Amino acid sequence: MTSKTQLTIRTEQDEKAVILCLAGRVDGTNASVLDEAVRDKIDAGQPALLFDFDELEYISSAGLRVLLLAARRMQADKGKTLFCGLSEQIAEVFRVSGFDHILPVFGTRSEALATV
Amino acid sequence: MGATRILMVDDEEDLELLVRQRFRRRIRKGEYEFLFAQNGKEALEALEQNPDVHLVLSDINMPVMDGLTLLGQLEDSKPDVKAVIISAYGDMENIRTAMNRGAFDFVTKPVDFNDLQITIDKTVKHINDLEQALKNRDRLVAIRRELDVAKQVQLSGVPAELPVGDAFGVHAVMNPAKEIGGDFYDFFELDEHHLGLVIADVSDKGVPAALFTMITRALLKSSSRRHDSPARCLHEVNEFLCQDNDACMFVTAFYGVLDLRDGSFRYSNGGHNPPRHLTQAGTVNALPLTGDCALGIALGHQFGDSTVTVKPGDALFLYTDGITEASNHDLKEYGEQRLDGVLADGASLGAAALADSVLADVERFADGAKQFDDITCLSLRLRSLSGGTGAGGSGSQ
Repeated sequence: MTSKTQLTIRTEQDEKAVILCLAGRVDGTNASVLDEAVRDKIDAGQPALLFDFDELEYISSAGLRVLLLAARRMQADKGKTLFCGLSEQIAEVFRVSGFDHILPVFGTRSEALATV
Repeated sequence: MGATRILMVDDEEDLELLVRQRFRRRIRKGEYEFLFAQNGKEALEALEQNPDVHLVLSDINMPVMDGLTLLGQLEDSKPDVKAVIISAYGDMENIRTAMNRGAFDFVTKPVDFNDLQITIDKTVKHINDLEQALKNRDRLVAIRRELDVAKQVQLSGVPAELPVGDAFGVHAVMNPAKEIGGDFYDFFELDEHHLGLVIADVSDKGVPAALFTMITRALLKSSSRRHDSPARCLHEVNEFLCQDNDACMFVTAFYGVLDLRDGSFRYSNGGHNPPRHLTQAGTVNALPLTGDCALGIALGHQFGDSTVTVKPGDALFLYTDGITEASNHDLKEYGEQRLDGVLADGASLGAAALADSVLADVERFADGAKQFDDITCLSLRLRSLSGGTGAGGSGSQ
């Protein structure tokens, strides 16, 4: 495996939300890994899910789809899905694809958690 | 699962009784079913009549056809039958010969039925594993064939030949990555004065993406005949794609209509990388976003139109992120800056040469690094306006 496909997912538990800290890249080769990790968390019946992208370098459209699936699943349980720490590049991906219209994006963790 | 059928080959008459007696529980439970033959010849006949028998237990010394000859025949004509040899204790020579002729295992006489049972179970497991592996292989072959079909479908989904006109030149290239991707482009003449340009990228790969691509392309083409406004068309396609989209698949799509009479290019951008407008003077502008999102994810979204004017000598370059996100061995991305540089250098090139110069530069940049995403682009060079038939207004229905 080249580093191109490396993704690390770290989970933190806040009193208000589960925080998934992603580092590296999400693309077609590992989107399913992220999907499984997310499923695990949602199955645990969390009220809110926060994606912290502080260390995320790249996300492809296959990755965006996983985020969308997560948001939809959370919504089905009346849970929230939030995003923070987007790099300039990833913010641009959100802007061009219009995902920033659909998914709630915040600058920092505390800003995101304040809305829960 | 039904009983495992086992063929026992031995000329000792009392063996049949003994086997039925010792394995009576397994037989009663429907796990084993035994067939019996007196020699190799009878065994081959029995196998011929019972193709579901995959396990043979055979003695070596028998009249008519002995066990070693039987093994040789099985090896040649029944590779899916596994044989366990029953030989006299210490008869290493025959045992070696049997193993060399493909016997799976052996037990010695006098038969220890516990050992025989273990050997049978082990062999049956092996046979079942083998069968499963074969099934998996066949399934893989079938999937690969399916993928080939999907690839054909995908490639047949883009126009084989682009229209040619005196007033414009157009060129498109699609280099799918190894997997079937979800890129597509389209280019059509709505009427004598209006050209439709489409570029799109589905969020996933494989057969589902190919199908999603086909649907999107067909819907957009159909909408384009009914509505002048690209935003209206994207809205219509989006409403359809959003229904029952449990897989959350989405497609970024750009659709624009060029009026050949006045050069106005009206477009709507559903979350796609902004196409470039190249002026004759060599400036490269990204077409401003229309504030919209990818198709398939936001039911009810109202899309917006924007318009730019394309002058004779100008060009439009539509592309997918397979170009800007192509990476080299250092995992650096090609990027928009480098793209804009190449486009500026190609300000005077025709549509085909322009697209080719970009692709050649992407290839130079990647320097042999693996292509992860489809690379698709569509370029159009406007040569002249077809004035005279009355300016303004809308020509399409």
